[in-house]
Amino acid sequence: MTDDKDVLRDVWFGRIPTCFTLYQDEITEREAEPYYLLLPRVSYLTLVTDKVKKHFQKVMRQEDISEIWFEYEGTPLKWHYPIGLLFDLLASSSALPWNITVHFKSFPEKDLLHCPSKDAIEAHFMSCVKEADALKHKSQVINEMQKKDHKQLWMGLQNDRFDQFWAINRKLMEYPAEENGFRYIPFRIYQTTTERPFIQKLFRPVAADGQLHTLGDLLKDVCPSAVAPEGREQNEPRLKTDSRSEQE
Amino acid sequence: MEEDEFFGEKTFQHCCAEFIRHSQQIGDGWEWRTLKDSSEGYMCKTHFQIKPETLMSHSGASACVQTCLPIEEALELPLDDSEVTETTTGSQVIKYEYHVLYSCSYQVPVLYFRASFLDGRPLALKDIWERIHECYKTRLLQEPWDTITQQEHPILGQPFFVLHPCKTDEFMTPVLKNSQKINRSVNYITSWLSVVGPVVGLNLPLSYARAASEDENVHQ
Repeated sequence: MTDDKDVLRDVWFGRIPTCFTLYQDEITEREAEPYYLLLPRVSYLTLVTDKVKKHFQKVMRQEDISEIWFEYEGTPLKWHYPIGLLFDLLASSSALPWNITVHFKSFPEKDLLHCPSKDAIEAHFMSCVKEADALKHKSQVINEMQKKDHKQLWMGLQNDRFDQFWAINRKLMEYPAEENGFRYIPFRIYQTTTERPFIQKLFRPVAADGQLHTLGDLLKDVCPSAVAPEGREQNEPRLKTDSRSEQE
Repeated sequence: MEEDEFFGEKTFQHCCAEFIRHSQQIGDGWEWRTLKDSSEGYMCKTHFQIKPETLMSHSGASACVQTCLPIEEALELPLDDSEVTETTTGSQVIKYEYHVLYSCSYQVPVLYFRASFLDGRPLALKDIWERIHECYKTRLLQEPWDTITQQEHPILGQPFFVLHPCKTDEFMTPVLKNSQKINRSVNYITSWLSVVGPVVGLNLPLSYARAASEDENVHQ
């Protein structure tokens, strides 16, 4: 893992230039200027948009404001997906900046989870980390950690502290010397073309004969429609990974 | 994928099939839903819960009983006329949808549920928390984020409430060990659902337990 430090830093510090515009039907006391922000790929919308919220609420009356939510070209944005994932899934083929519309009413109950507080984001994040460790280590590493370590992981993400985060995360990314990898690889594959939100299956990093599995092996196994059969000329499937604590 | 697991997906599906068989026998409403082009699936059930208001401004009838009735029967209850209006009845009837999915990460079943009023308005997390059975409230209030949270349904992609699966292993292991000891077979799904269901208003008639011990040993 230490050899990959540069890659880890590049992933962590990835940013998406974004332009936030208030939805035209929101009631304002004066014109709302768009708000520009560099969004961290590895974080969550509701964690990093306090300034956006404040900016637009300045031109609105209290009674016209309820829970904030975001939308891109008509699609409500799931705050519980990492920002980089949302961008890659929905907007990567469009020109920058990423244009997001901000809403303060008509929360789409059927599409979006509520985000009542920062605690909800922390709970969601920790739940993902725990599930990943259930796959990697049968939850042994995460359960052996103290509450303060869990807190440090979260604070590292919240405050954009690479070193603080990875001091704890590196333990979640280790495996015993005698093993060749994790028990199972924690991954999720998102596609816009499918009904279900993502594909998640059990997948071992090492084959029965001891060969290390590649990303191609994983894709062929769990998502064959995304991979061109050998020998045929097809467009290369574009794959974006958003490696965080759950994935290498 | 290989199944060297304690409670793998095949076992899950088998237990659900047995469970649903009994449900069909007693008309308990559980169904199996499969995903197209896939061997994956889940169990689901819808039921309506009526909680009559305590009648403050009307003398006489004061029914404070939670019942679980089909909607047509509920409306035939001898309630004060003024109560059986669109809005009042609508706000008192809650439609619960329960889904039982398999988590391959934790290798246990997981209970997803959502609730809405008849007019389609969904219940919020705090409404759900309020309706949790008294005896579970203490634990939940201490660690709310560890127990019931709102999450995305992994197959439907819609917001549901979830009972966290990470402690399931803890309480199911003794149940299964004991069943081996007393040599009485147990349906994992039946036992598990009888523990977690009541927390969120889902009760299982006792006949499920009798059916489980009569079934061939579904869990080695």
